[in-house]
Amino acid sequence: MEGIAKQKVPGGKLLIVKVRYAERIEEVKILGDFFIYPESAVQEIEAGLNGIDATSSEESVAELVGQISKRCNAEMIGVNPSAIAQTLRAAMG
Amino acid sequence: MRWRIIELETRDACLNMGIDQAISEGIAEGSSDPTIRFYKWHPSAVSIGCFQSMNDEVDVQKCREEGIGYVRRRTGGGAVFHDENGEITYSVIAPEREMPRGIIDSYRLICGWIIDSLATLGISASFAPINDIVVNGKKISGNAQTRRDGVLLQHGTVLYNPDIRRMFSLLKVDNAKLSDKAIRSVEERVTRVTDYAKVSQDDLYKAMLKGFTGGKEHYIGGLSDKEMKAALQLSKEVYGSDGWNFSR
Repeated sequence: MEGIAKQKVPGGKLLIVKVRYAERIEEVKILGDFFIYPESAVQEIEAGLNGIDATSSEESVAELVGQISKRCNAEMIGVNPSAIAQTLRAAMG
Repeated sequence: MRWRIIELETRDACLNMGIDQAISEGIAEGSSDPTIRFYKWHPSAVSIGCFQSMNDEVDVQKCREEGIGYVRRRTGGGAVFHDENGEITYSVIAPEREMPRGIIDSYRLICGWIIDSLATLGISASFAPINDIVVNGKKISGNAQTRRDGVLLQHGTVLYNPDIRRMFSLLKVDNAKLSDKAIRSVEERVTRVTDYAKVSQDDLYKAMLKGFTGGKEHYIGGLSDKEMKAALQLSKEVYGSDGWNFSR
């Protein structure tokens, strides 16, 4: 299945998540007009979400995104791990 | 810190982005000076943020038909139509250690130079975090920043007199189908120098030159041969490639 969801992050930027999934997430794209440094952290987050259970809770996804972000020393402006998790869950209905 | 100022020049979209990256890499390895450059785009072009999808944001077919350039930036932020006669773009590229550490603080500092520039034209503008400058609540300048290898790059535009109808025909904006209603909506959110001051684009450039260099040790310079070679290579191999521009 495929899904897409978008939200204007409160106090932040536009965030769009596209996802292809079955029982597990097969591919995620995180798009929008936010800022993340270093930019490569977005690919790291996308790769880290691939393969996780598609029924994973919003909280657990946010935690995982936060961990990957920290590992990459990423700085997020206009977006945050919770918003990414929330939008990913919304994209999967 | 002694700044190199590269005066207003006109390049195509891919080379403009290649030059910004080549200077950034030169500063990272210690061979380039901190730089402020001013530039325009010929042909007019659309740039998208690093995390945007070209096909989602831009009518690429129409760009190709009309000879409009398109490029994905290495900075985040949104899609921008760079009307060759409607705006002036700047880049500030400097070692991170010389700039405020906080993101908003560094936006505020550099955007302050734009605010100073507009003030010399009698336009009262203010910083609207995260990355905009507004006049009477309407956006007159958008800015984008990244940091890599200890180097801060911020580039942005000041709207002089952009062709909003053309912008709408090239960008895929939600609910924007070139209707008068949609254009009015954008005109309610965006403004331009010519709405407030009867000045030429050259007047705006001179004001920006003054606003960006005021109080700074600086010299007028150009790109080194090494920088230009690297920029041309980046222009061709990265910013001119579908692999980069359509990767998201």
